[in-house]
Amino acid sequence: MESPDNGLQKAQQIVLRWDSTVSEDARARMIFQSDRQEIDDYLQAVDEIQHFMESITVSDDDQKSQKVNSAIQIAMARLEDEFRNILISHAAPIETESLTESISPIHMSSRASSSLSEFNDSDDYFGRGEDDSVHTIGNLVRGESSTTITSYRSTSSIREMDLIPSDSVHDLRCIAERMITAGYIRECVQVYGSVRKSAVDSSFKKLGVEKLSIGDIQRLQWEVLNAKIGKWIRAAKVCVRVLFASEKRLCNLIFEDLGTDADDACFMETVKAPAIQLFNFAEAISISKRSPEKLFKILDLHDALLDLLPDIDAVFESKSSESIRVQATEIVSRLAEAARGMLSEFENAVLREPSKVPVPGGTIHPLTRYVMNYISLISDYKQTLGELIVSGPTTGSRYSDDSTTPDMDVADHEGRSPLALHLIWIIIVLQFNLEDKSKHYKDNSLAYVFIMNNIHYIVQKIKGSPELREMIGDGYLKKLTGKYRQAATKYQRATWVGVLYCLRDEGLHMTGSFSSGVSKTALRERFKSFNAMFEEVHKMQALWLIPDTQLREELQISISERLIPAYRSFLGRFRTHIEHGRHPENYIKYSVEDLETAVLDFFEGNAVNQHSRRRSN
Amino acid sequence: MRTDYHGSSSPNITNFGRSILSMKRDPVVHSIDHETHYQDSEIEALQRQVTRRFHELSSVESHELLSVSWISKLLDVFLCCQEEFKAIIFNNKSVLSKQPMEKLISDYFERSVKGLDVCNAIRDGLEQIRQWQKQLEIVLCALDYQKPLGEGQIRRAKKALTDLEIGMLDEKESNTNLAHRNRSFGRYQKDSQRHNSLKHFRSLSWSVSRSWSASKQLQAIGNFFPPKTNEILATNGLAVAVYTMSCVFLFVMWALVAAIPCQDRGLQCHFNIPKSFIWGAPIHSLHERIMDEAKKRERRNTCGLLKEIHGIEKSASFMIELTDSIQFPIREEKEEEVRKQVEEMKIVYEGLKTGLDPLEKQVREAFHRIVKSRTEGLDLIARGNE
Repeated sequence: MESPDNGLQKAQQIVLRWDSTVSEDARARMIFQSDRQEIDDYLQAVDEIQHFMESITVSDDDQKSQKVNSAIQIAMARLEDEFRNILISHAAPIETESLTESISPIHMSSRASSSLSEFNDSDDYFGRGEDDSVHTIGNLVRGESSTTITSYRSTSSIREMDLIPSDSVHDLRCIAERMITAGYIRECVQVYGSVRKSAVDSSFKKLGVEKLSIGDIQRLQWEVLNAKIGKWIRAAKVCVRVLFASEKRLCNLIFEDLGTDADDACFMETVKAPAIQLFNFAEAISISKRSPEKLFKILDLHDALLDLLPDIDAVFESKSSESIRVQATEIVSRLAEAARGMLSEFENAVLREPSKVPVPGGTIHPLTRYVMNYISLISDYKQTLGELIVSGPTTGSRYSDDSTTPDMDVADHEGRSPLALHLIWIIIVLQFNLEDKSKHYKDNSLAYVFIMNNIHYIVQKIKGSPELREMIGDGYLKKLTGKYRQAATKYQRATWVGVLYCLRDEGLHMTGSFSSGVSKTALRERFKSFNAMFEEVHKMQALWLIPDTQLREELQISISERLIPAYRSFLGRFRTHIEHGRHPENYIKYSVEDLETAVLDFFEGNAVNQHSRRRSN
Repeated sequence: MRTDYHGSSSPNITNFGRSILSMKRDPVVHSIDHETHYQDSEIEALQRQVTRRFHELSSVESHELLSVSWISKLLDVFLCCQEEFKAIIFNNKSVLSKQPMEKLISDYFERSVKGLDVCNAIRDGLEQIRQWQKQLEIVLCALDYQKPLGEGQIRRAKKALTDLEIGMLDEKESNTNLAHRNRSFGRYQKDSQRHNSLKHFRSLSWSVSRSWSASKQLQAIGNFFPPKTNEILATNGLAVAVYTMSCVFLFVMWALVAAIPCQDRGLQCHFNIPKSFIWGAPIHSLHERIMDEAKKRERRNTCGLLKEIHGIEKSASFMIELTDSIQFPIREEKEEEVRKQVEEMKIVYEGLKTGLDPLEKQVREAFHRIVKSRTEGLDLIARGNE
């Protein structure tokens, strides 16, 4: 049986044998790559020496304790190298292949595709972006929904992975135990942190997490940024729920219950800087310039982060990681504020949209399309936006008679949510702007057609979306319907009163009787005026466009209903007078059928060939 | 809303007129001079505040300049000036959307965004210093020992000191030219294998891309000029407020970059504040003092002018020399020297331990205030345009 001293001697010898500062052999090999016996012997030796260290007091043999002291340091230095070596050999980035193809992300699935086509057709709008370049509205939606090539299995909750095989974990723990007991915890934490941090960094690279400054992000085109946000959302979910969670678990496995919060210290060393780097991106987005087309992506980002917050809180629960939790919460609220700001920006932009060039043919203005598509998307996001938008729109003085600004009587829309009020306000503002634009038409009739077209479009859009309809309410919908009908009526009056005036009875009879009392001159003038007016109106208004088939037909029918009977009756009463005179064909240019056919040309947006129209009289 | 100084409803031009005339007559005129004070007493107050506070900052002893506590005071000054400036902007929101004010203030906000990246870089830099602080902790743990110093402790301390030197050298390497790169460094060579692997890990400490440059940021932040007289007139003096705040902003960012390690730390930055701005003098004087510090031989290749960094460098190199010269069995005088040096190192360590966390919080606070001020300011401008 060995004396305790002998055991100590042997232990010291083992430790000295593995001193890499003096032995070439010790430098060439690693203990923990040798066989189990070698490892156990070494650990046991360390324990032996440590045990001795704990039992001695100052008054003991200085020389001996000095030597043992020295041996401990040599052992610790060696163990530190071993520790580092094991860590380095398992520092591969996280495995992403095991996370399979995604289910399409929450918001942007099918509804995106329906609005996409309209968006792609419409013009660039509110051409402001980070760099003031003009970009298509398609970008509003395109980034997320299209082809999400590599995505990760919907990382919807924390899933810890094994980052290091368990036998290596066991070895690491063995080493950590000894280092901490000997008072070398700081060295241990430092080595651990530096190696694991670089592993996290390479995982970041694999996940596509970039190192971008706020300036970099500001300079990016929205299209590019849009895509990066989508990528970030996917990556962040993996980072928080898989990567960081796994690192935490690893720290626990190695350091738990070894005292002095080593597990927490190591975890912080490993992930604090990467976490800050990760969130810096979201933070930069939250403080970037607010322009309306970013709204939906910002909402996506907001929702993703909000969803992640509980997991962030769980993974970063310790006191030392408070700043990360705080930062994440701050970013969420900034994103919410940004979203609110963007909605206001949008409302202002709709009001201020300054284009004065009238849309040819009085058709749907691109602004109308853009706004209605935008509103539709808002209604898609009503769950999130509904929670974020807590106050109604700033609508200007309700009581002012100032007709230079739109106003909305909130009392008219009682019981509607603040978000719904915003939508209604946007429609009000849009109409206001459209009214203004309609004034640039020289022809009043065209102005009315324009208004009719656009408000009808608004109504159709609302009717086409159950969510939108529910939010705006049937009451206001009715009001809008009334408005476009009113515009149609105004058009009728503006164009046709004059034309039909030619077909009136008064002024044609010299006496009260029928036949011989008709002034042939006046009659001829009437026919000529009618022909000229109708031809003019026909030629011009054929070029106008009512895109909605049903509306177009309705208006054509409405015109016919007034025109045809009036002409038929006029013709019936007075044609014989003309036919008994010279050149009747100069005065009766149209048959009733001609007129019926001609009416069908109206609002088709095509030029009519005047000569082909000549038919039998 | 703040009412006019003389209670009239329109700006009183005669005061301006007088001030312009006297400026023309005598170019070296102080804006506080009663003859030439501006209509707007808020702007006056801001300038007085800046003057006073920067005088305070510049009248510190040289051992306090650029220390953690001084930087903390600097940030305090920044936050105060920022708040006052914000109040002035808010009180004068009706002028914001008119030119030339709109351009002046929008440009200011653009520049302030550049400061955000600086704040983030400083945060990284503070983390870097924390790493060095942790190294010191190991050294102190090794040497600050009840029992007589043994070879084991000395070796442990030496190891930590080597790591510290390597770490700080890496920092310098990324900022200095190639000539210094191959400087041999004693045990640095011996442990070069370990050093290479360590180096790899250390170079990942920045959270920005390799191309980010602190000096370029400073250049962008410094891209503004003293206001012209017609600008001052047209903006009711607000152009002076913007200029004042711009200079404060630039100086603070510059000083932070000078003090704290960050990527591509260039100190070339010129402050050419016209003498008519009385707060220019303390700023110029501080700038000069800091540049003098930077030119000192022992600080020329430092990774940051922070006093505590110098403290780390000094006590570390002193300790290395000392421990190198130790022969065993250790003599009592040597042990005494070590203990003394340990006490010195402790002071540096304690300073960092208590100072770094609050400083980080302050930098973060500055970040938030800059963002808030900008967001609210841009909002005011947008609303003014409605």
